[in-house]
Amino acid sequence: MVPGSLTSAAPAVLDTPLCEDHPLIRLENIHVSYALKDGTWKKVLNGIDLDIRPGEFISVVGQTGCGKSTLLRLVLGSEMPTEGSVLVEDREIRRPDRDRGYVPQKYSLFPDKTVSGNITFGLEVEEFSLLTRFTPQFYKRRREFRAEAMRQLIKMGLHESDAAKYPDQLSGGMQQRVAIAQALVMKPKILLMDEAFSALDPGTRAGMQKLIRNVWKETGTTVLFVTHNIAEALHLATRVIVLAKNPDADGSCIALDLPVPDHEFAGDYAALAARIEQATGHMRVDAS
Amino acid sequence: MSLLNVNVKPSRTACWTLSWLLFATGIVLYFYTAQKRHKENPDDRVVPTLAQLAAGIYQAAMSPDGDEAPAAQVQGQSAFGRFHTSMLWTDTVASSRRFFYGLALLFPAVLLGLHMGIFPYFGVFFLRFILFFDKIIALSVLPILFIAFGIDELSKVMLIVIGVTPTIILDTFNLTKGVPPEQLVKGFTLGASDFDVAYRVVLKQIWPRVLNSIRLNLKPLMLFLFAGEMIASTDGLAYRIALLRRHMGMNIIIPYVLWVAFLLFLVDLTMRLLNKKLHPWFREA
Repeated sequence: MVPGSLTSAAPAVLDTPLCEDHPLIRLENIHVSYALKDGTWKKVLNGIDLDIRPGEFISVVGQTGCGKSTLLRLVLGSEMPTEGSVLVEDREIRRPDRDRGYVPQKYSLFPDKTVSGNITFGLEVEEFSLLTRFTPQFYKRRREFRAEAMRQLIKMGLHESDAAKYPDQLSGGMQQRVAIAQALVMKPKILLMDEAFSALDPGTRAGMQKLIRNVWKETGTTVLFVTHNIAEALHLATRVIVLAKNPDADGSCIALDLPVPDHEFAGDYAALAARIEQATGHMRVDAS
Repeated sequence: MSLLNVNVKPSRTACWTLSWLLFATGIVLYFYTAQKRHKENPDDRVVPTLAQLAAGIYQAAMSPDGDEAPAAQVQGQSAFGRFHTSMLWTDTVASSRRFFYGLALLFPAVLLGLHMGIFPYFGVFFLRFILFFDKIIALSVLPILFIAFGIDELSKVMLIVIGVTPTIILDTFNLTKGVPPEQLVKGFTLGASDFDVAYRVVLKQIWPRVLNSIRLNLKPLMLFLFAGEMIASTDGLAYRIALLRRHMGMNIIIPYVLWVAFLLFLVDLTMRLLNKKLHPWFREA
């Protein structure tokens, strides 16, 4: 594989409507650089090409500063590439939108809203503007939204009594469960998770990994999961994108695209982990 | 037990006693001085005795302003009626009206600060000017205000606006900028528009802190109001204090000062309780 190129076996001709082999997300020749205070530029991503097909579970791993979160923000639309383009369903994205759910590591919930309010927020803003939210129709629909929130809450393994709690009354794991429910209630095509489980203890983290894997299987949502934990990346994903320092030593990162074999092939799995370790330098497969 | 021990936890009794000690000392010192001065000069008006203070309070709360209505007119009225026409009440109403006009004008300032923090073009357009405006000493432009707006209500309200709104705008701007970007992005990914993010995500999150900022600026607000009233007014609490100063009417000035402090304390307490009630999720740092 050519370093920097991630375009896997996707067809060269784009067919519409979207078929399973047609990329849902396409990153074309992505370059990202940041201006430094001394007037120079720091290259972060250098010529990344990547196709992600619908229903894939992609983990992105790499050393700190290699551009994992930048890559995610590009797909999210909260950051624009210096060069190249990011396409979702063949449309260039310019800003975050409701077709891309987002679960960050911190500040994933609105602190001023209850658990129920956090989950129903998207449904409410979708149907009711700032002015129409004071109409009787809003209060009628709100009951339905709350029922939907309750269903999502239970699906995420939380209790009905948690609905009235505020985020600061929940543990880190529970907050992330609510954040996933909040994102999924909008039925996004893509779920973007940025180190979403990094702040959790190992036990909770294992539970969350199981949960997200089940959610992915059930909903078929395309997941882009950024993590610094190689074991977690391999455990969850169908493909792992490894961002590693460019051997040309210009400081930027290139990417390796590694399909993950079925987990029963322990030999392949270990070999893959070793390959990622080698690519990322000092990163090690930690117990998750 | 050392008083200067960081790790000590005062008992409930110690907390109560210590927190009231300075009040008690102040009262004792005041009446000691009053008694001492009255022994030397029974006509002393600088530090009135308890009886003089009581007479002053009665006069302020039960007698009308001498310019407004002659005392004979209110002789037959009930205590409530007399209080309603008293100078304390009419002054309080006049000052409160100006105070609440000033307070109401802070809300557009909050919205301006919010928009400056959310919409970058809005921010760059206003920020430098507001930063400059904030450095203008409001009292220094008082003569200009009197010339431009006359000596009526508008000039006093404008003084409050010039004195307090830049602080509120900048506070709101900084609070808006302090909202984690993840929250804004999250809002957009949930289908919110720019205005939804501004009003339903950011404003709701910063609102308790904005209320706190307004609460902490009540004193400057009153300060500018008093400055305006003392210089050019025909009613109001500060006008009365300034007027009585000429007659050495300390027996009314002191109750007026305590009354203003009490009113401000009430507004502060109401705002704090409202903030707590309306935003149960909010924990002050």
